[in-house]
Amino acid sequence: MGDFLFNITEWLRTTPLSGFALGMSEWPLTLWIVTHFWAIPFLQIVHILAIAGSFASVLMISMRVFGLAGHATLAETSRRYTKVLWWSLVFIVLSGILMLFGDTVRNLLNAIFWIKMILVVLAIVSSIAFAKSLSRQLTTGDVVGGGTKATSLFLIVLWCVIMTCGRWIAYAPV
Amino acid sequence: MYPTPTNIWESIEYSKLGITVAESTWMFPTLETIHVIALVTVIGTIAIVDLRLIGIGSKGHRVSLLAKDTLPLTWGAFVLAAITGSLLFVSKATSYVANPYFLFKMVTLALAGLNMMYLHLTAWRTVEHWEQDPTFPVAAKVAGWLSLVFWLLVVFFGRAIGFTLSVFTS
Repeated sequence: MGDFLFNITEWLRTTPLSGFALGMSEWPLTLWIVTHFWAIPFLQIVHILAIAGSFASVLMISMRVFGLAGHATLAETSRRYTKVLWWSLVFIVLSGILMLFGDTVRNLLNAIFWIKMILVVLAIVSSIAFAKSLSRQLTTGDVVGGGTKATSLFLIVLWCVIMTCGRWIAYAPV
Repeated sequence: MYPTPTNIWESIEYSKLGITVAESTWMFPTLETIHVIALVTVIGTIAIVDLRLIGIGSKGHRVSLLAKDTLPLTWGAFVLAAITGSLLFVSKATSYVANPYFLFKMVTLALAGLNMMYLHLTAWRTVEHWEQDPTFPVAAKVAGWLSLVFWLLVVFFGRAIGFTLSVFTS
């Protein structure tokens, strides 16, 4: 696995991304972020809190889908938590983009970073599909189909893998 | 070869468990990952109840039922965070106890626990009498705000530890 990630990183170094990352490291925003000690910790806190919002939303909807949390109807549960999910995603993306400036080379020339980006896009697309699937379910009462249950489980696993990638970016061979 | 421990923290760090975690290439980041997943679960699910207590989120929902839905996740994730946090601690015990942010994090965690205990011993005892009122008792609102602040500080101190771990170690 380590060799595979290292080979991807080596390949990334041969692409125009290498020059772009080096150029980006001289941008005024990058210089401001790297010279202000608390900038990255602050962005990480926003990022973590936004992930807490999105992950808790996915967990609560999933609990309802599986009948493990049942005081509200599926319609109410879905309405309440998908709103939190969308706002959390906005903050995840914004804080994530700004964190990129903290170490442009380590991030952009990092195999795990790009795996995480692909998974984040997948999570957003899956969440939209999940929300649409829930809205269809709402019209037929509280009977939840197997596809919706599978998507909710998939989203939980996906978020765990995204968080894993987020932590392992710092440990990837660059 | 590790030196002979001269205090309890060195004894913990140089224990078989501490050395195993510290010397492994994958254990520390794996434990960190599980710790983060558990922590975001704790914070996310606690915030659902806290926001209801202060009157921002989930309006119209009975807070006792919200708590019933979230508590199994909160407690399960908290236990996981405590186990992984302890394993992270043993691998660098001397560095952690020398770090003020680690100590602040532990104090804040204790305060969050005391705040929850206080709520359950006071306003929560009569929750069924006020949870459908338009406004909640001051004690419940204060507990909700304090909980949000304490958990925000836990995240802040947790991140600060990562950025300053070597700063306070001689």
